[in-house]
Formats: sequence, structure tokens, C-alpha cells
Amino acid sequence: MDRFDTPRLTRRQALATAALAPALGALGPVRRAVGQDRLEQAGIVLPPLTDRQAFIDHMVAQGRGEDPAMLGWRFDRMQRLVGNGDLWREKEIAAFLMAPREIFALPQNSDRAYDHAFLGIGFGVTISGPHIVGRMTSGLDLQPGQRVLEIGTGSGYQAAILSYLTDQVYTVEVIEPLAVRTRGIYDELAGAAFPEYSSIVSRASDGYFGWEEHAPFDAIIVTAAIDHIPPPLLQQLAEGGTMVIPVGPLGAQTLLRVQKTADGSGNLAITRDDMYQGRRTVSFVPFTRQGGGTW
Amino acid sequence: MVASTDGRSATVSLPFYLTVALISGAIIAFQISVMRVFSIANWAHFGSLVVSIAMFGFGVVSAVMVIAKGSFDRHWRAWTTGALLAFGPLMVIANTLAQTYAFNPIFLISDPEQEVRLLANFVLYFLPFIPGALFLGLVFLRGQKSFGKVYFANMGGSGLGGLVFLLSMYVIFPQDLLLVPLAMWAIGGSLWFLTQGQRGALGALALLAAASVAGALVFPQIVVSQYKGVSYARAFPDSERVYEAASPLGYVEVYHSSYFHFAPGLSDMAALNMTEMPSEAFLGMYFDSSGPVGIMRELPESQQAYFRFLPMYQPFLLHEDPNVLVVQLGGGISTQVALAAGAGRVTAAESNPMVLAALRDDPYVSDWTGRFLDDPRVTVVPYDGRLYAAEAHGTYDIIDFSLPDSTGLSSPGGISVFEQYAYTRESMASYMRALDDDGVLAVTIWNRETPPKAVLRLFSTMAAAASDVLGDGGAISDHFFVNHTYLSTVTVMFSRSGFGAAQVAQLTDHSAAMAFDILYAPGMTWDRDDGGAILQAFNDLYFDPQRLETEGADVDMSATTLYRLIWSHLVADEAELVSDRYVFDIGPLTNDQPYFAGYIKTGDMATFAGMLDAVSDQWGYLLLWATLALASAFGLILLLIPMIFGWRTIFSRQPGKLGVIVYFFGLGLGFIVVEIALISKFVLALSNPTISASVLITGMLVFSGLGSWVSGRFLDRARSLLPKLFVTIALLVVLFAVAIDPVLDLIGVLPYWLRIVASLAILFPLAFLMGFPFATGMATLSRLDKQHFFLWAWGINGSFSVVGAVLVPIVGVVYGLSVALLIAAACYLLCWPAFYGVLAERRGPARTVAAQTA
Repeated sequence: MDRFDTPRLTRRQALATAALAPALGALGPVRRAVGQDRLEQAGIVLPPLTDRQAFIDHMVAQGRGEDPAMLGWRFDRMQRLVGNGDLWREKEIAAFLMAPREIFALPQNSDRAYDHAFLGIGFGVTISGPHIVGRMTSGLDLQPGQRVLEIGTGSGYQAAILSYLTDQVYTVEVIEPLAVRTRGIYDELAGAAFPEYSSIVSRASDGYFGWEEHAPFDAIIVTAAIDHIPPPLLQQLAEGGTMVIPVGPLGAQTLLRVQKTADGSGNLAITRDDMYQGRRTVSFVPFTRQGGGTW
Repeated sequence: MVASTDGRSATVSLPFYLTVALISGAIIAFQISVMRVFSIANWAHFGSLVVSIAMFGFGVVSAVMVIAKGSFDRHWRAWTTGALLAFGPLMVIANTLAQTYAFNPIFLISDPEQEVRLLANFVLYFLPFIPGALFLGLVFLRGQKSFGKVYFANMGGSGLGGLVFLLSMYVIFPQDLLLVPLAMWAIGGSLWFLTQGQRGALGALALLAAASVAGALVFPQIVVSQYKGVSYARAFPDSERVYEAASPLGYVEVYHSSYFHFAPGLSDMAALNMTEMPSEAFLGMYFDSSGPVGIMRELPESQQAYFRFLPMYQPFLLHEDPNVLVVQLGGGISTQVALAAGAGRVTAAESNPMVLAALRDDPYVSDWTGRFLDDPRVTVVPYDGRLYAAEAHGTYDIIDFSLPDSTGLSSPGGISVFEQYAYTRESMASYMRALDDDGVLAVTIWNRETPPKAVLRLFSTMAAAASDVLGDGGAISDHFFVNHTYLSTVTVMFSRSGFGAAQVAQLTDHSAAMAFDILYAPGMTWDRDDGGAILQAFNDLYFDPQRLETEGADVDMSATTLYRLIWSHLVADEAELVSDRYVFDIGPLTNDQPYFAGYIKTGDMATFAGMLDAVSDQWGYLLLWATLALASAFGLILLLIPMIFGWRTIFSRQPGKLGVIVYFFGLGLGFIVVEIALISKFVLALSNPTISASVLITGMLVFSGLGSWVSGRFLDRARSLLPKLFVTIALLVVLFAVAIDPVLDLIGVLPYWLRIVASLAILFPLAFLMGFPFATGMATLSRLDKQHFFLWAWGINGSFSVVGAVLVPIVGVVYGLSVALLIAAACYLLCWPAFYGVLAERRGPARTVAAQTA
């Protein structure tokens, strides 16, 4: 469903890439935005963001067992996402480069992990395409220490990316066996060379009702289609919080960014914006189906 | 009677005709059965497509029979036996395999295997029609001297077969409906073999029938797509089916589950303001596996504030103790809102008795709703609210028409093309006229399309209706108040006398409190400077993405802005200005063009066909065009094959070829266009497309079958009679085109059985006369010893029937149903001169069938 992701960069995309280039070179702001202290405590060193070979060399040197070819594809996809306007800031770029998408995709799909496509992960659900993950992550503008709730854990990839932006990641999945499998992947990776995933808190439950015990959330990201915004999620969204959610009919949802604001007298208001500004729709599996993710 | 060359003669007697009738009935019952299977399991329009393609079985068989007529004559007995034996088992095998190897329209573009699956479905469903058509072709050949009677048996059998199938839907659940055509086939086959003295074949038939029935019962005959709404409900861990009913009107299921989450236009502010939100508040109702429509439970006092946050509550801000008309009961939520908002009286119309049976009569469902339909303030009208409103001038304080349709996400394959008379300009005008002086009509629909389409059609329809009601020169600008929640619902309110300043203020305050965006309010002005750029951007989105990236990069393409732009033009009486410039057709719905679907402008069809993923909600309409192209091409090939193969040998001595082609082409197209267009039209009176189709198909076939039988008596006078007949038929069709709507509206308020009888009565004269020309033409060919033409004509007629079936909805969407009927009238007039070609005598010595095959 990606008519707008043409193989070549449009003039606008090229301008966006050019505008970001100086920022990509300056590592300092990135380190601050990503939550440098937390990551350093966890022993994570941020990679170079502008030079493909330097990025690969750096990541290999970290000893996390990452495949250089995969790293190259990840870097290439990052550049495409930046050009396409799916990754907005340095911190989201860094988060994208840190997360091993190939591990969250099924082993038979790992060679296609960085394709511009969603991939099946069993249970009738999918891992969303990198562009959607990038766009939704960027839409949240997560700050270190903010509390984020993901509805629809699925493969676990989205929460993995979020974990580079904050250490307060909560995620729920309605399909219990999938929730268990993904928790297993987090635990395994955390026990190996990805300690950042140990902070992801997950459970199996109907995401429509959010996760009241941990509310309010500064950000909520919904990765399954629904025809309305669940009121419990609006309730659990903190004042000033942002929710990203695909709303609409099967096969053609609009990616909404919902913000909960308060005026001077404390009156709350809800605003809804289309993240693609009327220019495209997305396609997620339905919310109340047992699962989530795009297809 | 013609002697058969395989040593025995076939008896053309009552059992002969009965068998023809039963097999014809089985064929049509199988067709409807396949359409039911698709409607429930997958997507109804693919069912129509599959059946249309399968109907080409008749064309293929006729083409083959023309070419190899000698062989069919020589081995007539063997061919009829084989065809009869094969037909039943093939129905079961085809359906079982096709359901096992189902295709999913959602993935038609992204998954290459789906194309193979689609092709497999076409081929599989095509198979049973081959022996079915072959049997009929063979009996036509044998009974051609008394063609009128054979044709009557064929038509009458088809019509009654459809009727029997329809009635059987009351007692047989969809899963087992294939048993109906199987029974007709088994009875027909037994009768045939008994009267023909073929004991061995009779035994084989008994075995095959037993195996077929067993197969139909053992193997799943309906495999519901996992993307149909009901599949999700069935997958919920705690889901429970609490109600189930089947009838010709459809298959209804109601489920209970804590996973049903509805919010019918609910304001986002409900979550922030209500101390106690309703939970597990809805049952889900599914029609033919599609839905759900939410049925809300009786809310406790502590949760009654919920109603205030729904968009349908808004008109109740303006009236105390109002007299309310709910145009369509649906799942009942509008009626519940009205009662909760203090309505003095509520009249709720619902034309689908299955909805009433579930909501009012079923103990579980009615208890769930708190039996609100038993509230003394509520009166139920058991027919269309549209027709009720037309008789209720100046009566109601509030008329509500809100979200009667599915609230879920399920629309596999997009919006299909079907008649929505409740939303037409005429119906909206009826609602408006049914208001008292300060009454308010509130229409709420879903607002979830990007870019918007249906909502814009609603806007232009309501604006046009308001102009009709208020009269020439009556400005509509003070009469509308429109608001929405982006990606939720939009509500258009119309005040008969115009909204006063106090009312506008009241609604404005409420909109702010509910976070509804105001799209139009009396006195609201909107800067239209950017209007051209906005409309251009929506065009560029599809036709020039590069320009959108550059020149259109900063254009506000939000639905809110577009809606405001459109309203600023509508109240300035400039509807056409935006309609012409917007990328999609957003013209009003009328009784002649009662379709929400079909937004793609005809000139843009080719462009959109190349970007299917961008218009996935338009596949139903695009599919019609694709089918038309496919059917026309296939029909042409079938027309040409016998000509190419037999030009020198078969046709060389046959004069009037062009006349014969035009004659049977005109009849095939004319007949089917009348039938299909009237099915769409009679929904006005019968309120249900399935019933309308069944009544019309049965009526048309039986009455014209009767006409064909009677026509035999006038064969000698055909040359003088038929021209008059064609003119009469054309005039009657034109009369139907221009004057049928008010008649059908009158019929629509009668008790249901009387509606069916009245519909059949007004259909009779036309359908009876339409039976004459085909039978007369065929009998003339036979009489003139043009046997090859005879089969070929039958094939042409069948093939172009398929073309006509898909042509009608397309013409209906683009030009209107009346234009389709005018085309049919023209077809019949065309038959007048062409008939002289049919009458042309053969040159040279006439050869009889026997002489040919000796």
C-alpha cells in the first residue's frame, strides 16, 4: 500500500535528508535525546549515524553478535526512512539503528527484515513495515523517562525501538502465546548482549482497556486498527500526552495523532491530527482480532 | 418429433417437460445457492461475478453444439444421460473444492496466489453449468418443433426453482442449501430415466445422488473468510452466539462477548467526563457474516450520561418532550437515545422483520435491551421509514436517521454497489417535509474515509433535498448545522424553519463541550481563497503526486477543511462547482441513482484501474467494469467461434445472418436489462434486494415462459404481430422508466404478502409480452430448418444476458436506472427490423436434420 514510497527520492525527500545531515553528524544532541545516562549505565554505546561502514564497524565491535550484512541493510533502510519523512529526529534514527529487526521477524523472513514490507510472524499477525514503525515512533516524540504504553506487542520490535527512547515501556498483547513468545525473545536478548530489553514490561490482555495500574501514560501507541479511540486509553493518557493510533475501516486506516491538553483553567481537550495529512492511509489488522500489526 | 439416430426415440411428453423444468430449476437454484455461499462466506459481488462467468457455460455449450451438431444428434441419448448424471455430483464437487481453496479479495493485489485461487473458483463453478447447459441444449434441439412449450418448461421451471429455493431458505440453514438444487436434479433425473426406460442410468443416478448428498453434508459447503466480521466475533475467547435465524432476507447471528467495543460516534470527551463508562455494553449482530451492528444493553441510571455524548443526542437539545421518528431502528441505539432524552413519542421504522424478530421477540436479546420496544411511548412501523415519512406531513419534532449500518471494521473487498433508497434526495425531502414547523432532521453517518467520499455525497444530497423542500429561491443557509468528529461520525442537522440564533448558540456550545468540529453553522463564513488549491491537491494525490509533493506540499488536505469548503459552496448554490473539480463524483443520490458507491468518474476509470491499492474501497465498482469488459470479450468470442469454424459450411446457405445476430443480441440484452433494472427498482416496494431479486426473477421467468407458450399459437402471424409487439414492449418499458417510482412507493406501505402480489401484478403484462419474441424467433429458425442458427441464437442470447447483467449497475451508477431501461426499450425496437432477417428463407435445398446426419 505504498504508492508514496517511490524508489527514488523526491525533491522534498532529498531536501529533508539534506536538512538532517548536519544533525546526523552531531552526536552530542543525540546522546542527550536518547537518554545517554541510562544507556551508558546499561553499557550501550551509540553508533555513528552518518557513515555506513563506520556504523557497521562500530556495531560489530560492540560484540552483540550482529551480522554485518544485516547492519548494512538496516543502515540503508534508515536512510530511506529519513528521506521519506518517517524518522523525524536523531533520537529516533539512533533507536532504529540499535534495534535488530531481523531477530523479531521469523527466522525464515530475516533476510527480508529490512524490506519495505510487513512480514508474517505467525498467529495470523505481522510485524509492521519499517516505515510505519518509524513514523509512529517519531509521532510520539518520546522523552527519556516518559512512560509509554504499547497496545499490540506482536513481534516485540516496536517496543524494542521504544526502549532506546525511554526506560518506561509497557506493552500488552491479546494473544497469550504470542505474548509469551515475545517475552521470551526479550529475556533471551536481555540475557545476552541487549540488556536494554529487560526494562520492557509486558503482559497478555485485551489492550482496549489499557493498563490501568501503570497509568497515566505520557504516550500510547496502538498497533492495530480500530474504528474508534478506546475511551479507556483516553482516560489513561496523561495531560499533555500523545497517542498514535490507526483509525478507520479495514484496509484503509488513517494514522491519527491524538493529544490530550489542558487549558489554563484545567479543562481538558482532545485533538486529532492525521499523521499523513490526508495524503495516505495505512493498513493494520483489526484491533479486536487476536493480534496486531500491519498486513 | 424428430427420430433420434441412436436407435430410440425420445418421448416429448409431460415427463419430458417436467424434467426440463426441474433441471432448469436446479440450475437457477444452484446459481442462487452459490451467491448465498459467497454472500455469507466471502463477498456477495464475487458470487455474482462467478455466477455470471459460469453462465457462459451456456454460450460455450451452444458454440460447441453448433460446430459438432452431427455428433450430438447421433449420440443424443448418450449425451443426455451423461449430462444428467454429471450435473449433480459436479455441483457438490465444485462448491466443496472452491470453498476449500477459497480466495480472499483483500489480498488480490498483494498475494499472487490469490489470482490463481480466483481463476480456480471461476473454473470450478463453471463446471456444473456445462452438463446443465448441455442437457438443456439437447432437449431444445429435440423439442425444437414445439419450442414454445419447451421454453415455457425451461422458463417456468427456472422461475419456480428460484421460488422453491427462496421458500426453502426459511427452513434450511445456509450451510445445507445446496441440498435444494440437488433434490431438484435427483427428482428430474429419476423422472427422465424412468420415462426413457433407462434402468441402468436410474441406478447410477441413485448412487450418485446418495454420494452427492453425503458429500454436501460431510464437507463444509460454506467456509467463512477469516476477514468477515463474524470471524472475529467467533475468535473472541469468551464469544457466545446468543441468537441465530435464517430466512430469505438473510442469515442473522447475534453474539455476546466482552471483546465487543463500540462507540457509535461517542465524543472523546465522554472518557474525560464520565465517572462510570459502560462496559460490556453491546451485543454484536451480524447479517450474512457481515457486521457487527451493536445492540446496546439497558444502561443503569449511573451510566445514562453516556447518551449525552452521542451525536444523535444533539437535536434533543432543541426540543422538550418531542415527537420523534426514527427512520431505521437497526440495532436500536437511536430509539434508546430518544427515550433517554425524554421523547414524548417515538415511532421507529424497520423494514427487516429479522431485526424486529431479534430485538423485540427473542427473550435473550430483548431482555438485554431492557425491552425498550415495549415502552408505551414506542410505536414500531414494520416497513421503510422512508415510505412512512412520505405520508407524515408536518408531524415530527425530531426525525433521526443515524448509523443503522455496521459499526465494525468489516468490509472485505470494499463497498459494493447496492441501492440505498433511504439516503436519496427524494427520501431526504420526505423526511424534511415530515417535520413540523420547527422540527429538526438529524442524519449521522460514518466519517472514516480518506479522502472523503460518502460524506460528501450525503452533504450534496441533503442540500439538494433542502432546495426541493424550501422551493425556488429559498436559501438553505439558515437551515443547516453540521458537525463531526474526525474519523468517527458526521451529523447533518436540518431545521425546517431555519435555526434561530439561540439554537445556533446552543448547538455551538454543545459542539465545543463534546469536541465536535463545526463544519457549517448559519452565519459561519469560510475563507474560500484556498479552495481551488485544496480541490487540486486531491486530484494530484492520484494523478500528479509529484506536483502534490512540490506545489501542494503545504495545502491543508484535512477532512475538516474539505468539508467546510464544500459546505461554503453548497449553501451558495454552487454544488456543481465543487462536484466538477473534486477528484471523485460526489453528486447527490436520487431514486434513479441510489448508490453511495461508484465514486470514480467514468473518464478516470482507466487511471484508477492502474492503482487499485489506492482505491481499495472502490473494488466493487471497478470489478463491475472489469466483468463487463470480460463478459463482452468472452461473449464476442463465443459469437465468433461458430462463425469462424462454420462460415463456409454451416452458414454459407443461411441468409439473414446479421438479422439473426442483431435479433437475439437485442432480445438477450433487452430482457436481462429489464430484469436487472427492475430488481433494483422494486427494492423501493419490497425493501430487500434478495426478495426483490427473487420476486422479479420468478415473475419474469414464469410470465415470459407463459408468453412463450402462448406465442406458439401466433406463429403464423408472426410477421405482422411482432412489430406491434416490439413497439408495445418498448412503450411499456419506457413507462416503467419514467413512472414506476410513485407506484412502487404506494405498494411499499402495504402488508408484505400484498406487496409481493402487487409487484407481480404490475410486472405481468410486460413480462408476458417479453416471452413472445424469443420463442417466436427460435420456432421460426426451426421451422425454416436453420438448426445451426437455432443453437447459435440460443448461445448468443445467453452470452449477452451476462453482459446485460453487469451493464445495468454500471449504467445505473453513471446515468441512472431509467437510462438502463431506455436502453432496453431501444434493444426491443432494434429487434423489429432484425426480425426480417430471422424470417429470411434459406437458399438452395433445405436439409433436414436426418438428411444431414445420415
